[in-house]
Amino acid sequence: MSAADAKPRLAPGVKLRDDAQGSKLLGPERILELDEIARAIVAQFDGQKRVSDIAAALAKEYDAKAADIQVDIEHLLKDLTAKGYVKS
Amino acid sequence: MTDLRPIGLLAELTHRCPLGCPYCSNPLDLVRAGQELDTKTWTRVFAEAAELGALHVHLSGGEPLVRKDIAELVNAAHLAGLYTNLITSAVGLTAQSLTELRAAGLEHVQISIQGVDTARADAVAHHKGAAKAKREAAKLVVEEGLALTVNAVIHRGNIADVAAIIDLAEGWGAGRLEVAHVQYHGWAIANRASLMPAREDFLAAAKIVEDARKRLEGTLVIDHVIPDYYAERPKACMGGWGRQVIVVAPDGRALPCHAAATLPGLAFDNVREKPLGEIWTNSEAFQKFRGTEWMPKPCQGCERAEIDWGGCRCQAFALTGNPATTDPVCALSPDHQKMREMATADAASTNGTYRFRRIGG
Ligand code: SF4
Ligand code: SF4
Repeated sequence: MSAADAKPRLAPGVKLRDDAQGSKLLGPERILELDEIARAIVAQFDGQKRVSDIAAALAKEYDAKAADIQVDIEHLLKDLTAKGYVKS
Repeated sequence: MTDLRPIGLLAELTHRCPLGCPYCSNPLDLVRAGQELDTKTWTRVFAEAAELGALHVHLSGGEPLVRKDIAELVNAAHLAGLYTNLITSAVGLTAQSLTELRAAGLEHVQISIQGVDTARADAVAHHKGAAKAKREAAKLVVEEGLALTVNAVIHRGNIADVAAIIDLAEGWGAGRLEVAHVQYHGWAIANRASLMPAREDFLAAAKIVEDARKRLEGTLVIDHVIPDYYAERPKACMGGWGRQVIVVAPDGRALPCHAAATLPGLAFDNVREKPLGEIWTNSEAFQKFRGTEWMPKPCQGCERAEIDWGGCRCQAFALTGNPATTDPVCALSPDHQKMREMATADAASTNGTYRFRRIGG
């Protein structure tokens, strides 16, 4: 499966949380702060949407090139997968 | 006064436990059932912790499942907005209780194991059938779709099994494994000569863990707690005194660290009498070693002062009799050499008997 076809989802026990201090992923014994872009991407990780669909949707919303956003998503996906926050 | 906000609440719901692990970090002087906080008080404490900024609650013990109100407590923590983590021996965790806990809002289950060999594991747990119960419970947790962490406390008796322990956690479908060398608090101090591994064995095990970490990246997160006695620099105990975590003991005493009650001359406020926020901010115990001002040399002015915060106060006290001295784990501490010699002597000990943890023991 190519990275563009992956359908990422949060790993079991991982939650996205927004509060006055910002957005973060909460997992077992761990916390990861997310910036606005990372939050927007992670919020789309529902196990249904493909990376390419997410890139297209966010490109529209942020008026950016889908190809650029896809690079960002793949980068984040790789990092969050290695850290155990995301599965695909 | 402080602007610090705790990120976690360690709720020691009870000291009762069907197991008797000789490395248990609970104090020798265990709190009895009759002194435990009730459901209502815990519910208030969870709300106060969330309001203070805590994100996670670790429902621990003893064995939290012996509380008849455990599902209610999980639900109260969940409704307060906390991420709920159950730290359990898994003895007593049934399919039905798990379904109830999940419905109550449980997010993560951490199951401790004593080893891979059933007979030897049961002997360390001092409970026949423990290993089997854990295996079955782990399966249920994964089937329920809950996050599973396996926690393995490592000591001389199981250090040769580290590779097998990693395989077991992977096979069980855990998302996370804690390979945690014994921390010498509570019962572990009483059993140090039977628990301490040899330095070579630690180094061999550490290599296995580091290799597995790379191999299993993306499948199994492995957190490695190395043994203090073979380290050169201490850990930031609890992320620093009074900086990240509040421990509430079964009887309601609020502690900066679960072993803090062993320190002499410290008075602890009780959540029965005061709100958690007030205790966190103003209590003598939380302020005592917070920050860097209390530090002696060589910590004072050290570049790691705000990284490790001088190490563990309880360990400094246990090893030197003075809680306000540099943690002897630090190679810069004048007590480091003595600690190392003690560890080497303990590791060479042929003592293989344990003093099992029990109430009134
Ligand atoms: S370490 Fe063992 S004895 Fe202590 S609370 Fe955990 S399971 Fe019980
Ligand atoms: S001297 Fe103190 S602050 Fe410096 S590394 Fe050692 S324990 Fe940490």
